[in-house]
Amino acid sequence: MTNFLQWLMDPKRRGALLVTPAIVLLFVMNIFPLMWSFGLSFFHYKASSMKPPRFAGLYYYEKVLSDPVVWERFQTTAVIVTASVLMQMVIGFGLALLFAKKFPLRREIMMLVLTPMMLSFVAVGVFFKLFYEPTFGLLSQAMMYFTGEPFGLLATQAGAIFGIVFADAWMWSPFVMLLVLAGLVSVPDYLYEAAEVDRATPWQRFKTVTFPYVKGLLLLALLFRTIETFKLFDVVYIITNGGPGTSTETIAVYVYRVAFQFFKTSQSSALSYILLFVVIVLTNLYLYFVNRREREA
Amino acid sequence: MFATKKKNRALREAGWGRTLVAGFIGLIYFSPVLWIVMTAFKTRQDALATPPKLFFEPTLDNFVRVFYRVTTDGDQLSTGMGLYFFNSIFIAGAGVLLAVVIGTLAAYGFSRYPLRGNDTYLFVILTTRMLPPIVVIVPIFLMFRVTGLSGGYIGIILLYAMFNLAFSVWMMKSFFDELSADVEDAARLDGANDLAVFFKICLPQLKAGLAATVVFALILTWNEFLFALLLTGSDTRTVPVAMARAMGGQLGVDWGLLAAIITLFLVPVFAVTYMLQNHLLRGVTFGTVKK
Amino acid sequence: METTMRQLLTTGSAIALAGCLVATATPALAKDITIQMAAPDWGPTRFMQEYANKTYKSPTGNNVTLAIDFIPWPSFYERVAASMASGEEKYQLVVSDSQWIGTFIEGGQFLKLNEYIDADPELASILQDVHPALTEAYATYPYKSDNIYGFPQMPDTKVTAYRTDLFCNEGEAAAFKAKFDKKLPCTYEDWESVDWDTWANIGEFFMRKAGDELAGETLTEDFFGIAFQAGKGYDFSSGQINAFIWQNGASIWDESDQPNAQAVGVVNSDKAVEGFQNYLDLLQYSPPVWKTGQMDIFQINDLYLQGKIAAIINWNALTAAAIDPDVSTVSDKTAYALPPGTVDENGDLVRWDNIGGQPFVLTTWNSDEVVQEALNVVKWWLTEDTQAAFAFNGGTAALQSVMNAPGYNEFKPWNRAHVELLPWQRDFWHVPEFFELLTQQQEEFDKAITGQKTAKEAMDSIAEFQQELLTEAGRIE
Repeated sequence: MTNFLQWLMDPKRRGALLVTPAIVLLFVMNIFPLMWSFGLSFFHYKASSMKPPRFAGLYYYEKVLSDPVVWERFQTTAVIVTASVLMQMVIGFGLALLFAKKFPLRREIMMLVLTPMMLSFVAVGVFFKLFYEPTFGLLSQAMMYFTGEPFGLLATQAGAIFGIVFADAWMWSPFVMLLVLAGLVSVPDYLYEAAEVDRATPWQRFKTVTFPYVKGLLLLALLFRTIETFKLFDVVYIITNGGPGTSTETIAVYVYRVAFQFFKTSQSSALSYILLFVVIVLTNLYLYFVNRREREA
Repeated sequence: MFATKKKNRALREAGWGRTLVAGFIGLIYFSPVLWIVMTAFKTRQDALATPPKLFFEPTLDNFVRVFYRVTTDGDQLSTGMGLYFFNSIFIAGAGVLLAVVIGTLAAYGFSRYPLRGNDTYLFVILTTRMLPPIVVIVPIFLMFRVTGLSGGYIGIILLYAMFNLAFSVWMMKSFFDELSADVEDAARLDGANDLAVFFKICLPQLKAGLAATVVFALILTWNEFLFALLLTGSDTRTVPVAMARAMGGQLGVDWGLLAAIITLFLVPVFAVTYMLQNHLLRGVTFGTVKK
Repeated sequence: METTMRQLLTTGSAIALAGCLVATATPALAKDITIQMAAPDWGPTRFMQEYANKTYKSPTGNNVTLAIDFIPWPSFYERVAASMASGEEKYQLVVSDSQWIGTFIEGGQFLKLNEYIDADPELASILQDVHPALTEAYATYPYKSDNIYGFPQMPDTKVTAYRTDLFCNEGEAAAFKAKFDKKLPCTYEDWESVDWDTWANIGEFFMRKAGDELAGETLTEDFFGIAFQAGKGYDFSSGQINAFIWQNGASIWDESDQPNAQAVGVVNSDKAVEGFQNYLDLLQYSPPVWKTGQMDIFQINDLYLQGKIAAIINWNALTAAAIDPDVSTVSDKTAYALPPGTVDENGDLVRWDNIGGQPFVLTTWNSDEVVQEALNVVKWWLTEDTQAAFAFNGGTAALQSVMNAPGYNEFKPWNRAHVELLPWQRDFWHVPEFFELLTQQQEEFDKAITGQKTAKEAMDSIAEFQQELLTEAGRIE
């Protein structure tokens, strides 16, 4: 026993020893179930049924990839992700500029902006649905003040997508703000001083001094938010339930239906892996840009 | 020396004018939350009144109903919400703590004793955070079915720990990377063993990093719904799952009750964030800023 | 009249009390058994728990506890489905929407009860007393077969809730008469002859703008005529649209006639499309939320409770809130009636409708003793006194003996309509493909509701999808 302990505590094994718990946890809780479902995607299997799986080969991948519904869902998702992430970046950046300088009560006022991030998706979904409701909703009430007619934002595809995007962007812009803010406060003072000496305009100062410092973080924010928005589920499910018609059915909502309502376990696994592939491609695109930036720098 | 500092202050500080502007924008940004909090103090009629009521007679009834409900006989019964609040705090707390402990150890390892393929391990760990949870629902669900972890505290805590692990490892590694190894080596020369170095030299310098990691992991864990719904039992249920109680009985959405639960549930995470707010700016950067 | 129901209640409790005394007198070899039941978190199940705590004693002498796991409605299906599929074998009883039973019968989780019923005359006589429409809709799989899987927990139908201050207002009645040459229905009997055309007239008549007069008062806000469910979620439009299809003489895919029944040509028959079009034509008299395809069962309730609509058709379990002064602004001026019907070719008013409510079922993983105890809970729930107490506390009875008792109709204002409607109830499909059929149908209905498709296009797409899916599943040849 003592020998084993000595063997274990040998400095040669220090790195492996320290890292092992993390790897074990990841393996048990994530990688192992992933492999399992990866396997299932090649079998006929329904989680609701007690029948054993039967080998299916690439049947479900073919099925998913040739399904026009899946492509439609991907398109809808792409539109929502693009619009929402763009909005988060713009609002987040604006908020970061606002909070970049110290001012009285900054701590308190920043908490006001950070709070949406702490709400549950369910809370955001349910209350934004109420805000958009044509009879009771604050939005319709405000519009009625001008037009005299109740306003149903969610009645059209464009409106419904905007409604979802707005709620999601409201919730997560603070996250972008924090990232950008971290970049802004890290700009060394002497650069600002130099810019002042050069009598640079605010725009020039922003372009040459500030932006280079936040560019990397902006890309990081873009990556995180893209991946997160890809998973967008509860907000869509509650606000529009994918409607009107199928206008806002995202891929996450679709995977959920296939996996839990239809209990097509194999098909949902195959679909999940295609989704994962897309996310990994996006991740690598990001890394490619980051690396290029580093080479340039 | 003094002159530059003053100048810096002028560059870095704005006055009350900024407070006014930011306060105005902040309030607009906060207004949906404010509406929810106000709804928590409204009767059902007031909550849905048109035109919307900004001024109303506040009631605490909704908050009472969070914890007690009245039976058909007029008895007061507990709704179990107290337990669910405890569960949420316990499960999120334990999950985050576990992730931070294991993550910090791993980060120390990755930083001080690089393994062969160090970067690959790190990337794989990061990838797990990038997976949409929907991808792992089915297999985790099946795994819990086989191992019998379903319904207890342990399974869901381990799961939440896993979720936060990638985040903890990456963030803590960036903090360790920034610490100078010289101090540690000096301590070792003085005869301190590795444990003492880790606990007495490294950790005290990392308080801010730990705080930031905890806050971010907590925000990401606190409101988790889907896994909590599927993998907790009636005794281990968390608030986000129980919250749905206010959304589909005979009344549809019970606006006041739902708002009251949301408001109460916001308090702990709001308080923790406020206390550790100063560390947050450092926290989100994954150490990229100073590299 | 009410005294009769009261008497039923008091004698019932006395019997239950006597039962307790007898049970406690035989403590020998008493075992502790807990019957876990998965149930949605709402009144009808909370009552069951509270009443069981007070009155339930197992006749076997075992210490049996009924422990209900209350799961919030919005995530109820997911939670139950997860429990069933994960094999955690936690529940002995499960409250299930009738449409789900096929999935879990084929999955091997729900227990077939015929042999237990055959072996137990008491249970058989209870089943005789349960309203046959409920047994057929809640418990049979394949639908309409003789295989029995469950018992009613909370029977539900859609009734009309309407504003007596408007419908019984003389000025409004006169104006209505002048405009449509019809009587504005005020009493329950008036409503008995209302068909969908009159319902449309009512809708048109009560659409008022801010500034208009309503029952002698000037409106400060818009007021709306009528509403029924037209939401995309779950079955929040199909439940009502099926009524229009059936009443128009058309039908949905008939699972009781597999594999001969077809979808194409049946589901999208001219009669079915016409029925759906009738439904769509009525939406214009509803609050504007219908245009978003989100006018679900909760939305119309919210609107009605806030006094914005003259009349709605909704589940009994939900409209009951309209007379609760704590949550309703119209509690003192709401009455209940039959929903409108359709006059068929014989000149009769038909009222086919989609049943709501839930059965509860037994699971397959229990020992004989536990099954016996679970069945004892079922028998307790379906005793006359429990059912009477349930009805007294806002539920609806499943037993004919209780609903036919004098006074039952007056017991709660919706009871009379509910009892009359039971024979008109039909159900969705019970097959395991239910959720796929429903989801696609809801999507297509929603497209028609929000104006993306015509009724015909939507019905064609539904029929085609069903034909393909059910053929693939081997249910259509």
